[in-house]
Amino acid sequence: MAKLTVARERGGAQPRQGLRVAQRRFVVGALTPIMAYMLFFSLFPMIWAVALGFFDYSPVRGGSGFLGLGDANPFVGLDNYRNMFSQSQPARVFRLAVGNTLLFALLVLPLNLAITLPLALLVDSVHDRLKGLFRAIYFLPTISAAVAVALMWGYIYHPQQGLLNTTIRAIGLTPPRSWLTDPQAFVLGVPLAMVAVIIAYVWQDFGYNLVIFIAALQGIPRELRDAARVDGASAWQEFWGIILPLLKPTLLFVCALTMISSLQTFVVFQVMTNGGPRNQTTPLVMSIYENAFRYQSMGWAAAISMVLFLMILGITAIQFRVLRTDWEY
Amino acid sequence: MATVHLPAANRPARRPSLRRSLSRSVVYIILLMGTAVTLVPFIWVLMTSLKPASEIVKVPPSFFPERWTLQSYQTIFSDPGVPLARFYLNSLFVAGSRVLITLFTSSLAGYIFARYTFAGKNVLFVFILAQLMIPFQVVMIPAYLILVQLHLVDTLWGLIIPSMVDAFGIFLMRQFVESLPSELLDAGRIDGASEFGIYWRIVLPQMGAALATLGIFTFMATWNDYLWPLIVITTHEKRTLPLLLTWYNSQHGTRYDLTMAASVLVLLPILLIFVLFQRWIVRGVALTGFK
Repeated sequence: MAKLTVARERGGAQPRQGLRVAQRRFVVGALTPIMAYMLFFSLFPMIWAVALGFFDYSPVRGGSGFLGLGDANPFVGLDNYRNMFSQSQPARVFRLAVGNTLLFALLVLPLNLAITLPLALLVDSVHDRLKGLFRAIYFLPTISAAVAVALMWGYIYHPQQGLLNTTIRAIGLTPPRSWLTDPQAFVLGVPLAMVAVIIAYVWQDFGYNLVIFIAALQGIPRELRDAARVDGASAWQEFWGIILPLLKPTLLFVCALTMISSLQTFVVFQVMTNGGPRNQTTPLVMSIYENAFRYQSMGWAAAISMVLFLMILGITAIQFRVLRTDWEY
Repeated sequence: MATVHLPAANRPARRPSLRRSLSRSVVYIILLMGTAVTLVPFIWVLMTSLKPASEIVKVPPSFFPERWTLQSYQTIFSDPGVPLARFYLNSLFVAGSRVLITLFTSSLAGYIFARYTFAGKNVLFVFILAQLMIPFQVVMIPAYLILVQLHLVDTLWGLIIPSMVDAFGIFLMRQFVESLPSELLDAGRIDGASEFGIYWRIVLPQMGAALATLGIFTFMATWNDYLWPLIVITTHEKRTLPLLLTWYNSQHGTRYDLTMAASVLVLLPILLIFVLFQRWIVRGVALTGFK
């Protein structure tokens, strides 16, 4: 940041001396506060979070050292991370949360793709004006406040008055006793409450990927699809042979985005189940939030947040690696 | 962030490919079923909010109210513990401030990164992009501790100040400015405008499309934000609308007529914005993968 030599990027002739000074002053004057802000509110908290993970830190105890670390908030090295494998109650909840978060992300992704990809093909195949209408309708849940959506679905899942069970009873089937609170109910080994949250989440979230897929489909040159037609390819062959390979970069991007945002999900869990029953729907973010702001054990919470960070970083790294193969068409 | 390819301009209306084998009617039936699944929950919430309290406990419930009433809304509006205007103003203040500040910082930095060369430019830009990798949930603990030091806990400014610079916004704006013709800038220089004057009077007005997209998304994200306000705000009167909604639910858990009416009140402004700016929003997602 210290020394900035400014010149106009496009403009040809060498700018006059006075202009250069004015430009330098402008760049330094504008960027210094912005970069300083980023250092203070983004990089510094990140480093602080890493540091907190090595301390037994609680804001209610005043440590004497820098940032209140040390003294009453002692350095504990890797203890927080070692504790993750212990038999203590917080560690057990943490491990459940890791499992829940992964289960959630790994179920949301295929479910989301199984809905959005075929639906995008269908929307893409209708007349332009209707296309816009369907796209707008399907996008409605994504712009709605997650809190309102979670409350809405909590009511839909209500055992007696809920829309879902009423419908199930109306067609002559027996609905589950309780969608959100029965710890004994499982669907193919997945807790029923988790299934319920996944449905609500996918309902709210599918519009994003749908819109991205529709845009990508419109970017595929017509000639390619027409050529396949002329050669006598079936719709199925056209999809597997032309559309899917050309959608690959979009698909990867969408997969990474969907995975990352489902790893970070909090609101639907908090509002619909509050983590229950028996922590069957406690995700990592809730575990971070509860430990940090309810139990005030921020060192432990920061260590948990590092686990989440590494999971997200891993997915991003995989995405970048796979995406490096450039696609041209 | 990968960019999704631009939709091709006006395509011929004839679509022989998929349509031939999948008959049209099946396509429409599936699309309409999807529409129903998307819309029925919203309608169900609205219908519930229009029922009298006595109908809420009925088993099985009817989808439409037997007696239509605005009772639930009247109850909320007349509740002295729920100064609705206050909560709307809180949300509007936070979202509005964040939009204005984010648009300013993003466009300024984006313009500089697009149109000036200086030593260390690439390093700085990579540093900005690296901030995109930091999930909010990881920095929220230190961010809260910073707010404690700044005495901003339990203030609306505490919801604004930690997010005044948006790395993704800078990235988006840089991309956009790079696509602008450079003749515009030169016109300003000949007139002898100051560097900031060029940005403010010549570049900024050209950035309407990008500003609108970023602005709408920042507004919606802030309006719907829950986790950070949940951490920062403790005083009832300072709650934003999503916080109000969960609080109201905790007070009236079984009165679904009331909680659903409150949900409608929170959802309505965003739905209106969506109806007005639908094109910008959908295009914004398609082009940027905004989330």
